[in-house]
Amino acid sequence: MHGTTPLLCALNLKKTYVKFANRIEVLRGIDLDVAEGEFLSVIGNSGSGKSTMLHLLGTLDKPDEGTIHLEGRRIDNLPAEQRDALRNRTFGLIFQFYHLLPELSTLENVLMPAMITHSVWSWWLNRRALKKQALEMLDRVGLSHRLNHKPRELSGGEMQRAAIARALINRPRVLLADEPTGNLDAANGQHVMKLLRDLNQHDGLTIVMVTHNLELVHDTDRVVRLFDGRVETPEMILPPTFATTP
Amino acid sequence: MYKLLLCWRYLKTRYLAIACIISVMLGVATLIVVNSVMNGFSTKLKTLLHGVLSDIVLEGHGMEGFHDPLGKIRRIRKDAYLDAQIDSLAITIDAFAMAQFHNVVTNETATRPVRVMGIEMKSRSQVGGFKEHLDLQKNSAEPSFAIPKEIQDYFEAVEEQIRKDRERERQDAHLEAAFGLLQIPKAAPDNDIDKVMREFFHAKPAVEPAPRPMPVPHKVRVPQGAVVGHLIAHMKWKDPNNKEFVDLPTIRVGDRIDLTTVSTSHRLEPKYDSFVVVDYFKSGMSEYDANAVFVPLEHLQAMRGMDNRASNILIKLKDYNEADKVVQRLAEIFEHDRLGIFTWEQKQGPLLKAIEIEKSILNILLFMIIAVAGFGILAIFSMIVSEKTRDIGILKALGASSGGVMKIFLTYGLLLGVVGAFFGTILGLTITWNINGIEALIAMLTGSRVFDGSVYYFKEIPTDVQPMGVLIVNLGAIAIAVVFSILPALRAALLHPVQALRYE
Repeated sequence: MHGTTPLLCALNLKKTYVKFANRIEVLRGIDLDVAEGEFLSVIGNSGSGKSTMLHLLGTLDKPDEGTIHLEGRRIDNLPAEQRDALRNRTFGLIFQFYHLLPELSTLENVLMPAMITHSVWSWWLNRRALKKQALEMLDRVGLSHRLNHKPRELSGGEMQRAAIARALINRPRVLLADEPTGNLDAANGQHVMKLLRDLNQHDGLTIVMVTHNLELVHDTDRVVRLFDGRVETPEMILPPTFATTP
Repeated sequence: MYKLLLCWRYLKTRYLAIACIISVMLGVATLIVVNSVMNGFSTKLKTLLHGVLSDIVLEGHGMEGFHDPLGKIRRIRKDAYLDAQIDSLAITIDAFAMAQFHNVVTNETATRPVRVMGIEMKSRSQVGGFKEHLDLQKNSAEPSFAIPKEIQDYFEAVEEQIRKDRERERQDAHLEAAFGLLQIPKAAPDNDIDKVMREFFHAKPAVEPAPRPMPVPHKVRVPQGAVVGHLIAHMKWKDPNNKEFVDLPTIRVGDRIDLTTVSTSHRLEPKYDSFVVVDYFKSGMSEYDANAVFVPLEHLQAMRGMDNRASNILIKLKDYNEADKVVQRLAEIFEHDRLGIFTWEQKQGPLLKAIEIEKSILNILLFMIIAVAGFGILAIFSMIVSEKTRDIGILKALGASSGGVMKIFLTYGLLLGVVGAFFGTILGLTITWNINGIEALIAMLTGSRVFDGSVYYFKEIPTDVQPMGVLIVNLGAIAIAVVFSILPALRAALLHPVQALRYE
């Protein structure tokens, strides 16, 4: 499953937030490789820098120091348009609070990344194919009966599944999931995890999942733990019965 | 694509946007109504002014006018370009005078200053702006100053009587001269008639008195006709029954009007004559209707001692667009003559300019209303951007560019402007096209008229919707809506995606 060259590679990532006289060093030098097709979970306490690292990997933010490479190509210093394009087509992002657009229906939310990709004319030409693709995604996440519902009419689990369908519509290389089950009950959390595992195993989707729920990491290929802005333990391939490092 | 979809959804779901739309709509509607009414006034006034004035006028500088108007017309006609451009010409005299007449309503003698204009009816009618304003001879093929037959007969009869009286006086005077100066001797006692007669014919009066002046033989003369301004010859009277103003004639057709003007000789002398009112002049321009009295050109020339002189030459062009070139050519031809040469617009320059300035100032003030709407858009957009901060973060996380986010809000502003301008145009045009009905309704509800036709030149509120003006107002309103949404849009575009996603 794992390729020889890492799909995503972070070297010595540092990030410091400065507010007035306070300097908060969130990341103090992170090194991380993610192989293609890998399901990596990142765990750590609150404030350990998990989400910040995920944002840096997903080009939502820029590191103060260090570099990020995608298939050997440096991506952290790309111009804004290319970084936008990476977020739109190469990375799929899902969040703890789903972050669906409240004015749009489930189907429209799922179609949003495709709408961003296409111009009006291109959208008009490809609208049927794109809609079919979105319907397939929604069917896969079990929401084909909720196409025209607004986010406020969906349950938390349904919203997260809609967010996953949205993240997958442009067929990304890497899915970056920030506490995807953090706001869900156990049953819904399991449902979402099953879905992610399925996407990883059957579609070969590379997933980097940030979580603080240690139970969830059972289903992942590998776990890294962040502590005080650093990877506490070097990368570790989890055995079928694994134990997390402290 | 996503920009249009989000704009449309924001427009449908954010009720605050309706406030922006309404403010733009009201601003646009107000501008359209005010501009249309101003244009209506301006157009109507221009039509009225141009309807009274000729396209071009050549005028002398003083009361005495200029010499040889016919010679000047010949010089104009000799020029090939001018001859091709000019449709017709008319010579006129323009002078001030005092008019005196018997006001039949008040039964008093009325005296008022007027502007007496000597015209040749046929040529003046050809130049335009005259015949169509006549009250009685509007549809006549050849209007004239001819006084009505019965009035002419009356004056002829009166004059004939005067002539006869004068003749009798003259004969009496002649007889008196022949006989009255001699002392007829008393008859001699012996009745020697031959002696008496001999003495009568050879006798000399003792003291020869100064001969009595002989009466001047009277020449039968009928007064000339005059066309009197409608407002000179009428007065407003409020009918107590329906509260409407009606025009009561103070001078009737056939009544006498005496005009006293001045001569143009070296010594200023009063010159007066009586005229018979033959028609009224009603142009709608109070400047003319309340002041002008038209009389035959030759008669006024003779009366004022203006032999072969005139005040103006009025020119009607075949194509008014050529007016400036014609004026330039005329100025070249009459370079050494002391003549003022103007188009009608130049003549009325201050008035037209005043209207234009008034319109411009009003437009600036009204655009401020839309600017206020713009500040509303700015405030509401800022609120919407704050409200939508997390959505902006989501869009950026999904790959939307900062430019794309900015375009969402700019398109939103554009959409508000377009929708507001669209409904504003409909509202504005509806009000404009029904403004007199609305005015009547307001008058009925409030009991007082908003637009009193008796005060203005027009009976109804004139309107003139100029499509270009409506387009400019619309574009201006849309531009203001877009400009005022730039700042919030920029703020949205510059939001950091991570901070936006964490926004509570």
